[in-house]
Parts: sequence; C-alpha cells; structure tokens
Amino acid sequence: MRRSLAPPSRWASLLVLVSAFCCLFLSTAAVKHENFKTCDQAGFCKRNRAYADAAGVSGWEAPFRIAAESLTWKDGLLQGTILKTINKNGETVRLPVTITFLQSGSARVTIDEERRQKGEIELRHNSIARKERYNEAESWTIVGGLDVSKTATESREATRSTVTYGSEGQFQAVITFAPFSVDFKRDGATQIKLNDRGLLNVEHWRPKIEKVEPEKKEGDEETPAPEVEAGEDESTWWDEPFGGQTDSKPKGPESVSLDITFPGYEHVYGIPEHAGPLSLKQTRGGDGNHNDPYRLYNADVFEYIMDSPMTLYGSIPFMQAHKKDSTVGVFWLNAAETWIDITKQKEAHNPLSLGIGSKTDTHTHWFSESGMIDVFVFLGPTPSDVTKAYGELTGYTQLPPEFSIAYHQCRWNYNSDEDVKDVDRKMSKHQIPYDVIWLDIEYTDDKQYFTWDPLTFPDPIGMLKQLDESDRKLVAIIDPHIKNKAGYPVVEELKQKNFGVNNKDGNLYEGWCWPGSSHWIDCFNPAAIKWWIGLFKYSAFKGTMANLFIWNDMNEPSVFNGPETTMPKDNLHHGNWEHRDLHNINGLTFHNATYQAMLEREKGVLRRPFVLTRSFYAGSQRVGAMWTGDNQASWDHLAAGFPMIINNGIAGYPFAGADVGGFFGNPEKDLLTRWYQAGAFYPFFRGHAHIDTRRREPYLVGDPYTGIITRALRLRYSLMPAWYTAFHEASVNGTPILRPHYFMYPGDEAGFAVDDQFFVGSTGLLAKPVVKEGADSVVIYIADEEQYYDYFDFKKYSGKGSQTISAPLEKIPLLMQGGHIIPRKDRPRRSSGLMKWDPYTLVVVLSKESTAQGEIYVDDGDSFDYEAGAYIKRAFDFKDGVLSSANLGTKGKMTDKYIKSMKAVGVERIIVVGAPKSWETKKTVKVGKGEAQLEFHAEEGNKAAWAVVKNPAINIAEDWKIEF
Amino acid sequence: MRKVEALVLLSTLSSTVIAAESSRPRGVGPEFGAFYKSTDSFTCISDPSITLSPSQINDEYCDCPDGSDEPGTAACTYLSALSPPQPIAGNKNTSAALPGFYCKNKGHISGYIPHMYVNDGVCDYEICCDGSDEWQGVGGKKCEDRCKEIGKEWRRLDDIKQKAMRGALKRKEELLKDAGMKRASVEMSISRTETEIKSLESKERELKKVYEEVERRERGKVVVGKEGGKSSKVTVLAGLAKARVDELRSTLTSVATKRDALKEKVKDLEGILAKFKEERNPNFNDEGVKRAVQAWEDYAANKMGGDDDEALDRDVESVSKPDSETEGINWTEWETEGEESDVEAHAVYKFEEYLPEAIRSWVHQKIIDFRIMLVENGILADNANSGSESKAVTDARSAYQSVSDDLNSKQTSLGELQTDLAKDYGNGDIFRALQNTCISKDSGEYEYELCWLDKTSQKSKKGGGNTGMGNFVRFDRLEVDEEVGADGKGVGKGERITMMYENGQHCWNGPNRQTTVVLACAEKDEIWKVVEQEKCMYRMDVGTSAVCERERSKVAEGKSGKDEL
Repeated sequence: MRRSLAPPSRWASLLVLVSAFCCLFLSTAAVKHENFKTCDQAGFCKRNRAYADAAGVSGWEAPFRIAAESLTWKDGLLQGTILKTINKNGETVRLPVTITFLQSGSARVTIDEERRQKGEIELRHNSIARKERYNEAESWTIVGGLDVSKTATESREATRSTVTYGSEGQFQAVITFAPFSVDFKRDGATQIKLNDRGLLNVEHWRPKIEKVEPEKKEGDEETPAPEVEAGEDESTWWDEPFGGQTDSKPKGPESVSLDITFPGYEHVYGIPEHAGPLSLKQTRGGDGNHNDPYRLYNADVFEYIMDSPMTLYGSIPFMQAHKKDSTVGVFWLNAAETWIDITKQKEAHNPLSLGIGSKTDTHTHWFSESGMIDVFVFLGPTPSDVTKAYGELTGYTQLPPEFSIAYHQCRWNYNSDEDVKDVDRKMSKHQIPYDVIWLDIEYTDDKQYFTWDPLTFPDPIGMLKQLDESDRKLVAIIDPHIKNKAGYPVVEELKQKNFGVNNKDGNLYEGWCWPGSSHWIDCFNPAAIKWWIGLFKYSAFKGTMANLFIWNDMNEPSVFNGPETTMPKDNLHHGNWEHRDLHNINGLTFHNATYQAMLEREKGVLRRPFVLTRSFYAGSQRVGAMWTGDNQASWDHLAAGFPMIINNGIAGYPFAGADVGGFFGNPEKDLLTRWYQAGAFYPFFRGHAHIDTRRREPYLVGDPYTGIITRALRLRYSLMPAWYTAFHEASVNGTPILRPHYFMYPGDEAGFAVDDQFFVGSTGLLAKPVVKEGADSVVIYIADEEQYYDYFDFKKYSGKGSQTISAPLEKIPLLMQGGHIIPRKDRPRRSSGLMKWDPYTLVVVLSKESTAQGEIYVDDGDSFDYEAGAYIKRAFDFKDGVLSSANLGTKGKMTDKYIKSMKAVGVERIIVVGAPKSWETKKTVKVGKGEAQLEFHAEEGNKAAWAVVKNPAINIAEDWKIEF
Repeated sequence: MRKVEALVLLSTLSSTVIAAESSRPRGVGPEFGAFYKSTDSFTCISDPSITLSPSQINDEYCDCPDGSDEPGTAACTYLSALSPPQPIAGNKNTSAALPGFYCKNKGHISGYIPHMYVNDGVCDYEICCDGSDEWQGVGGKKCEDRCKEIGKEWRRLDDIKQKAMRGALKRKEELLKDAGMKRASVEMSISRTETEIKSLESKERELKKVYEEVERRERGKVVVGKEGGKSSKVTVLAGLAKARVDELRSTLTSVATKRDALKEKVKDLEGILAKFKEERNPNFNDEGVKRAVQAWEDYAANKMGGDDDEALDRDVESVSKPDSETEGINWTEWETEGEESDVEAHAVYKFEEYLPEAIRSWVHQKIIDFRIMLVENGILADNANSGSESKAVTDARSAYQSVSDDLNSKQTSLGELQTDLAKDYGNGDIFRALQNTCISKDSGEYEYELCWLDKTSQKSKKGGGNTGMGNFVRFDRLEVDEEVGADGKGVGKGERITMMYENGQHCWNGPNRQTTVVLACAEKDEIWKVVEQEKCMYRMDVGTSAVCERERSKVAEGKSGKDEL
C-alpha cells in the first residue's frame, strides 16, 4: 500500500498544527532520499567499492587462492578450501568452497567461512545471534533442479582444474587456483568470468580490538577510527548509525563480494525491483549513468522516483546478459542487503576499425552485507533456456486462479459493505466487466486483522454473497504487523507462543505501523506458519467465505519508525538468525505462509489461492502476484510500468502489474484512459487509488472516457483464453508473459534495449500502449519481415524497422503478427467466471506463407484438478488451406470427466485475417463431414482481406479439421 | 445502447399479445413480434438489406449488426460500442435493435434483460423471475420459474407502496397547507409591519420637526448660557483633550486585554509544540515532522530573552489608570480656568441691545439664522457639541431618536420578512413546512443529521463532536440513477430535486465538507443512505413527501426505471 501523509490517529491533532510548518517546506512529490542509504552510507557498500577501486590499481594482488591439495572431485561436486591471505605475514583464513555441476546444465559456486561455520567466533554486545553465515536462503528459494550431473568430468592440472558438463558436454568451467577464479565457457568460448578482476571478498571474522580513543563527540559519525593495520579503515566495521538509530552489528564486518564479467555482452537485464529501463545502466557515474550501484534491500519507498537504482519493495538477484544470439545468466542467492555495480568496457579489436567488430564487456560487481557467496551460473544460449533453468531452481510461476488475471477494482478504501455492493451494482449496470473488488486496511476493526469493523462492515457475508451471484470475488488485506493491543486474541497468542520477530536482546520486537504499536509475525518459524494457517480457516476468520482472497502488503517489512522504514538489522528471527541475514526473504516467507493458509481454509477443498504481495524474492512467483507498489498518477509512472513488469517477467516473476491510474494523486481523464489501455496488458490488472484521491471507478469518468475504458477492459476479457494460455506456459517452463524484443529476436541487436513494446505470450500480439501525454500515434518497432495486421481493422504493416501507428485516444496500438492463431471469447459478461460456457472465436492470422499456429490451454480455472489431467490443451495449425486442432495434453485420471463437462463449449467463429483472394467465390468450407458458411471480405485499401467461418459447430476439446 | 441497458418492465400484458406469443421467437417482446412473423425470410430490423432465412434466428451466430437475428441468445452482444471494435463489412449500425431478452414472467410483470445476461449461468430473477434467461442450462444450471412467489411478494410490497404513496401525497397536502399557513403568517407579519412602519414614519417626521425646532431655538440662544462663560478656547480644548484621552485610554486597555489573550494563546501553542517535540517518535521517518520540529527549535532559541517586557507592562498599567488630582492630568484645573478670557466675544453679541425693538427681533432672528448657517457649514463651533445642552433639546431628541430606532428595526424586520417571502422554498413553498426541523440516521460509524434548509452534520460513534457537513445554500437538480429497494426506499432514476449544503468543516488533506441532499418521494421524512462520494463530499439520499408528485404516482410505483416509460 502506501506511506502517506495520513498519520496514525493519535498524531493527527498534533500534525494538524504542524501542517502549517509543513507548508513552508512545500513537500514535492518525490522520494524522501534522506530516509534511504546511499552506497556511501552503507558501510559494506563503501568498503567494497573502495576495495574495487584499490584492485583496479596496478600491482594489486588478489588475496584468495585455492589450496590445490584440498581439492576433491566426486559426483559432479568439486570441493576444497580457499585461503584468504589476511596480512603481510601471510596468515590465512579458510573458506570452504563447493562448485556443483547440475544435471540441468547449471553450475553453482558456494563459498563459506570455516571459522564462522564452526561457531568459533565471539559476538559483541553479548549477542545471542547465530554465528554461522546464513545458510537457509536455499530452503526458502530453491525447490528443484538440484540434481547433480552424472556426466560431468574433471581434469586437473597444477594451476587449474577443468570441468566439462552440460547435456552434450558443451559447457566448461575452468577453475584457476591462484588467484582463485572461474571461467565458464560454452562451446569453447568464455561467457562468464568469476573473480576475473579479483574483487572476490569475504570479510572474515575478527575480534574488535578496543583502543584508547580520543574523546569522541556523540553523533559525530565522520571521525575516522584509527587504523588497525596499514590500509585497514575500521570506521564502518562496528556499530553503524543511520537516521538516528544504530545497528549493533554483533558479528562485525562480514560482507561477501564477487565480480562477474560477461565478456562481449553489452546488455544486462534483471535484478528487479527498480524503476528504470530494462537494459540496466552503468553505475559508476558518467554521462547518463547512475552514481550508486543497483540496490536490493526490500523497503517501503514512499513516492519512489523514476530511472533510479534505488531499492524498492522486492528483489530478485537474477541477472541475464545478452549479446547477439547468446544469453547467459547468474543468480546470486543471498538474502542480505545487496548492491550491484555495473560498468561496461568497450574493447576494439582493431583501433582502426572505428568500432566495427568492437565488442563491449559488461563488468558486474556484487556485494552483500552478510551470508555466503552462492552463485548459480546459466549458460543459455537462448533467453528461454536461461529463464527455464532459473525456473527449475526457484519454481515456475503459480498457475493462478483464472479470475485473478481478469480485472481487479481496488481503492483505499471502499468504506463499507454497502459501498462495495454499490460499486458492484454500478459496474454491472454500466456493463463493465470486473472480477474482483478489494478492501484495504480500513475494513478492519481498529486495524486488527482477521476482524471486520462492526460499524462499517456489519455484514461481510451478505456482501460476499452478492459478489458471488455474478461470480465475483473480494480480496481483503492482511499485513504482517499485528496490533499490540490488550484483548486482541491474535496478538495475545502471538506473544504467548513467541511467534513474533524478536529484538536484538531476544525479546519481542515492537515497532510502529498502521495500527500504531505492533509486533511482527515471524514466518521463518514453522510453528508460526502453522498458527498463521489456522487464522484463515472460515471458522476462525469470521465473515469470510470461498470467494474471499488475500492481499499481503507492508511485508518488506515496513516499520514506520525503523531504520529505512524497516526492521533493525540486529533483530532476531527463528533460530536466532539476524534480520540482516534474511531481510530480502522476509516478504516471501509471509506471502508463502498466507498462500499455505489459503490452501487449508476448508478441509478437503483444495482451490488455487490468490495472494498479492508487495515484497518479494526469488521464488515468490510460486505463491502469487506482485505489483509495483505505490506509484503516482503521472505519465512518467505510466511509462515506467512496462519496463518494470517486463523486467520482473524475465526474472521469473511474470504475474506482475502496476496500479492502474496511479496510486497517489488524481489522474487526468486522458491519463486514466490511457492507463486502462496499458493495464489491459498487465499480467496483473488492477485499478487502485489512494484514500485522499477522488473516486475514479470507470463508470464515473464520463463520456467518452468510460466507453473507451470499457472497451479496453472488454478487450482484456475477450483475450482471456490467450492470457490464460500464456500463464499456463509460464507455469510450466518459465517463459515470460510479456516478452521483450531481445527475448523473441535474440539476434536482432536493434531491439535489445526496446522495453516499451512487447509480445503477449506466444500469441504474436505485439502491443505498444500509449504512455505519452497527448500522443496521437506511436512508432512501433518491427523486428522481422513478417506480415503484421492491426488487431482491430486489419490494416497491414510490414518491413523490418519503425512503423507509425495512428493512436487517437480511443485506439490501442496492437498488431497481430502473421503466423499465429489467437483464441478469444468475444461475448461480454459481467465477470470472467460467467464466460466459462461461452463459445470461442479463433483468429487465424496468416503468415506470408499462408500458415499459422497457435495453442490453447483451458481448465476449470479454480482447482488443482489440472494436475490430474483435467484440462484441455490443443495445438491449432493452419497449413495448405486446412485448419486443424490436435491434442497436446497428457491424459490423466480426471481428463475424460473434464472433457465431458466441456462438451457444450464450441467455436462460434473463425476469422481468417489475410485471407487469399482465391476464396472470394468460396461460400462454404468443409468441416469434417459437414460444412459451414464462409463469408469473404475483400481487401479494402490498406486493410487486409479477411474471411469468417460461421458457426463451424466444432468443439474446443476435440480433434477437428476444416478444409478451406 | 440505452435500450439494452434499460431494464424495462412493461406493464400488464394485453390479451392480443398473449395470443401472438407462441409464434414469436425466443426473447422477442410483443412489440417486436411483427418483425418475426414471416415464415420465409427475416430481415434485420435496422438493416433490411440483410435477409436471412428464419432458421438463422437464434442459431447462436450473429448475422445482423443490430443483433435482431439473435433475440434469444447472447451471440450478438460483442457488437457494441462498449466492446472492442470489430471488423464489419461496410459501416453498419451496430446499435442494438432490441431492448434486451424478453422474459414473459407469467404471473408477474414481463421484462427485458440485457442479452449479455442470457445463458451465463446466473438466474437473474430480479428481472427474469421465470428463469427463461437461462434456457440453455449451461454448466447444468437450472433456473426454475419463481414468478408466482416473486409476483406475490411484489404485489404485497406494491400494495404497501401504493398505500405509502397515498399517505405520502396526503402528507404532502398537509405540508403544503402548513407551508401555506406559514407563508400567510409571514405575509401577515409583513402587512402588519408595513402599517406600523407607516405610522412610525409619520410620528418620526413630527418628532423630528419638534426636535429640530427646539434645537434651532437653543442654538439661537447664542453661546452664552449658564455655563457658557467658562467656554474659553482653552477649556474647550481641555474638554476635547479629556474626551480624547479617555477614548485612547479605553482603547489601550482593550488592546492590552486582547494582547494578554493572544499571549495566552501563544503560550498554549508553544506548550503544544514543546510537548509535540518531546513526545514525537524521532525515528518516525517523517521528514515533514522532522523539519517542523527543527523550525520549532530555532524559533524557541530565538525567542530567548525576548520575553522581558514587564517594564512595558507596568507603563501600560499606569497609563491605563484614570486621571485624578494626583495622577496623570488634573483636568479640573484646566476646565475651571480663564473666566474672563472671552469678553470680546460677548461684545459682538451685545450690539443687539443698541438696536430699536422692531429691528432687534428681526436682526436677532437673522443672526440666529446666520449663525446656524455658519454652524451647519462648519465655520462656527456648534454649541451642542460643547457638552452642554438644554434638557428640552435632549428630551426632544431622545423622543425622536427612539421612534427613529423603532422604525429602523421595523424596517429591518420587514426586509427580512420580504426576503424570506421571496426565498425559494420549493414548489408551493412546501419546504417552509419543514424549516427548523431535523431528521437523523444511524449509519454505521456515524450518526448523520439533516436540518432542512439549515445544515447537515455527522457524529462519529468512535468519539468526537459534531462535524458540520455543510450549510444550506440553494436548491438544485440532479440526474440520478440508483436502485430502489424492495421497500421502496431509494431515489431511483431521473431528475431529482437536491439541496446543496456547502462550506462545512474543513477536511484534513481535503476540501471543506459539503453535502448534496437528493430528495425523492416517500411517506416519511427519512435519510435513506449517506455516501461519501469523494473525500469529504457527501451525498444524502432522502425521502420526503415534500417532493411527491401526484400525476407521476401511478408510474412511480414500478420497481425500477420508473421514469422510463
């Protein structure tokens, strides 16, 4: 949700007085920079950047080497010890290293620290925190793909070891012992280099040597501490202050860092969540570059700004590097605060060639505050190889309940159950489809979750029943902060059973959030999860029924009075792990607990949960959708949505969206209209608004806007079969839903940085929604020589390069690429659930060769029966004048029953776009043994010829053939 | 599109319609039956150039751009201005030809349901009590005919509504009568006041004359009176000075009092801010608050030492004390001094005595006139201002003054009465009957109150006082489209009279509160519903007999869409 100016009620009266002062300092709508750290203000970031700078100077000797004699090879595992030289006397610390080669073709490099691992260290401040480097990130993130390669082979020389792996032995890892480095090769060519620049750093444990210091003034952070050893600046090692609070850092400096180089790769993508372009920028200054590294430290960033490497609500430390016809990737499995520096170096083979044949290397430098080094390496070579391999490890996106990919109507807040029912009626009355209406925090009784405000929501069941009449749903918010109020059973139980997050002394942590004083559930604790699950049972959460779903917000966690609006890093979680070690996973654990709870609301009834989260990590895609947080009603925020959603998609989390209309502020009518047209292409499509904004439900906007918005919504609904098929695809192989150009055309360099247009799944739909104020056309980039058609009027576009599409307010620039078959359901209904029995329309978009292919996936949209075969999956093919449907499904024990239930669902129309002229005189087509009418429409100006097969009387679930 | 949207309920079926019923295709209402009569062919209603075979009617495929070939299915719903544009050959009119799917609803009132509700698996009994909209039974859905019970219940409620409507109209008559009486009473007051004013005016004229005469005479008596001798320039000055000093002193005292009050306020505010600074959570990460506290600290630092104005206070205090012989100026000393100082002036007046009697009186008169002329033109000082005035003048003036005051107040109240009479109290002045009365409603968190033509307010049950939601400004009109409950409560569809209440209490992060009160006919004055449409902009749907209309009463009893026909 939001951090707004709306104060907790107790402060309200005081703030009214203060508001006069506030006016003097006119608050502009921009992020409060001072609330969040710059690299300079984060000790380990500053240290590692300094380390990198020192390493860049000639004469630098990287202090990490593999003790060759320690190295063993067994069953795809190369294990040994890295020695880190820590002083001039040559003293070393031992860092166990494991390089694992997986069956999938991925490789994994893990580096720990022996002394911490064995617990042979002392913590300061009598801390009871765990001594090891955090080693449980895997258990929250990785769900498969860890089978070790049986075919990998190792060969060793005196200075290095070479492992050959991959399905065809196409990959190689060359491990150099001193200094330690690994080069990953594909087909003999180096793709990824670890520690090529010698920036590997594992800050080993050391005791604090108390020195007699000159009297230091309190609050004077800048006084440099005296140096311990020559060159060692201790100033950021210990207790670290920020914004008036001090991190006690009982484990001292413990950061890990590694440089990863992508030789010859000019573009890197991924590492969401940031507001900025898909192709990541350089971060060490210079014209148009960022000055700070990309930061990953999940935080509730109020009024975030555009084109910034600042951290946002979620993080996925997965990066792809791309060059012509090759994609590779790395996944940095570390849950602590992480920063990534990116620099690109142009390297000309021949200085006289003036850039021809020159190549660019991308250097990245990753550092995390604590935990282990744990890196996965993916060698591609295609973008989908990389996303698939990543998905094998972290899981593919949940196949969501079908309603959740339809339209969501949200607002902070619908004020009462009557209000909800009124909006519901009005949407129906205006014939605007929607599936879900949402409740923000105000529905609760005094911000106590699992309760309803008895005055404003006296009859939640009545409200839910009305929604259910048209198969609509309700989503209610449940956050991780539990109001600290005597007599509130949830908090009392949390206290009594120790299910909360503790402070550094091991006592229940108390902070401030929406309810005022609060405690936070610790979902790292399995017992707490179990308890959480119980709270959602229909019998426990009174006033809920099957069409109520959940929204998890503020799970970074957002703590209003905490450092950087989150928890102190020295807080303790289950197992006494410091919050610092697992911060970025926190949101995932809470989201996951809610997902589990939704599975178990009623014994014996297993339905797909829908849970929206704001905070996320690698793996969150398994348990629900995310949205880009509290954006603003401005054109630049509208424009920022697609790069962010696309980036999330290629990082394995495609079920993403931005608040349509913009959360803060009041959108002008044209902005709101354009936003709906854009939102119709968000995988997660929700209109949302801040409590201080004017009402903006689509029917309120007025003519002609309401009509245009309704058309955008109905466009989404008519394409639901295509969207659902794309979600299915993402759920089985990790392919993004919004696919950027580089993903579709890995060889087309002109498209590598394009992030404002995209393809929808495998449908061949190429969209470029208008995101610029006043624009009445867009320039769309076409990457190939295929024939493209305007979606609505079949106007033809072709030829590689830029094409201008006229786009007055009522028009969405949307093309269909020749060669695809798109399934639709054109009949408008009140909700997607009510479209279930409607017949399909198939749009056959012919390629230049007069061919087309497509797929459809259908199931009940609600249960897990598809796992037992209760689904329809068909391949459509048009070739040589014959359109056919063939089964792609695998039969399971529930297949027949399901197919039978779908017997009545047919195809009402087949539209063939780009129909050959020879059909002009054709009046019928053969459908099996019968026939159906064909209506031909000749080419008109630049608009392609098209034909319609009327009522072919074919079933969506069956094999059939239509001869033209 | 309007036709599709309209959930029109038709009144009772005629017998001829029933006869024709069996021959009409599914979903066709009696008034469209003629289009479907031919057994050889069917032409689209809005586009007769398209001819179809009758078998194409309701065949689940849309052939007519106006949807007329699919009266009984949802096949044509996608051709709509609200749906994505479809490629259609030619520029065909895709406005729906039919108002919807016709539900016969035998035993109840027939109706049209939007085609997009047909065969979607939902029994929309509200419009289609016979369940005929789900004739396909998709997904195994069965919608049994419930018209009998629904019709019965509807008729029961309708009876109640009819009764209520009659009651409402009766009550309206009463209100009108009451309003008429109130108006008459105002009119009466006006005429009474006018009479009073007339008599007061003549009385005032008389008294004014008397007063002027007396005063004229007095003024003519020359300055030399009992006390006149003392009025030397200095004493006049002293008199003036004293009055002036007194005036200044009293002003000073009141300014000092005001200052003290403000000081008290500043102290309170500083106390609040100091407490705010002390009690706030410094880690609350709100830069606005941080800056405010910083500004307060700076202010507090600058203020140090500036408080020391006690000396000034003492000065003010002593200056404020009234003058006496021992303190300030001893006015008596000045007022009694210089008795012979104006001898010359006397001589001027004495010259009359040397004139013959006849001329003397004429001259006397002229001198008086001349003097009055001088006084009136500001050349000579007026005796009257010198603080001494004869009792006769005083009495005359006060008599005149009192009548004049009386007249003024009568005129004011006449003005008020006339304004009130001219004010908009709705048709037939009906709201005059409701003025000064209030109604309230308990609605969730708040108790709302509407005072007719006065103000609206809310009171939270969670504590806090009354919050003003606006003061009455004017009547207005508004197009509304709302549900009407089975109990007949709701403003319905159409243009309604509204009362605008504006400039209520200001909202945190918002505007001043305002309320639009939408009025609809009901037997009882009642707030039905209060919604906050926008932040701090409320709408109250209110029932009152005051807006009932006799001629529409027959139509208004319909469940919804009462203004459609």
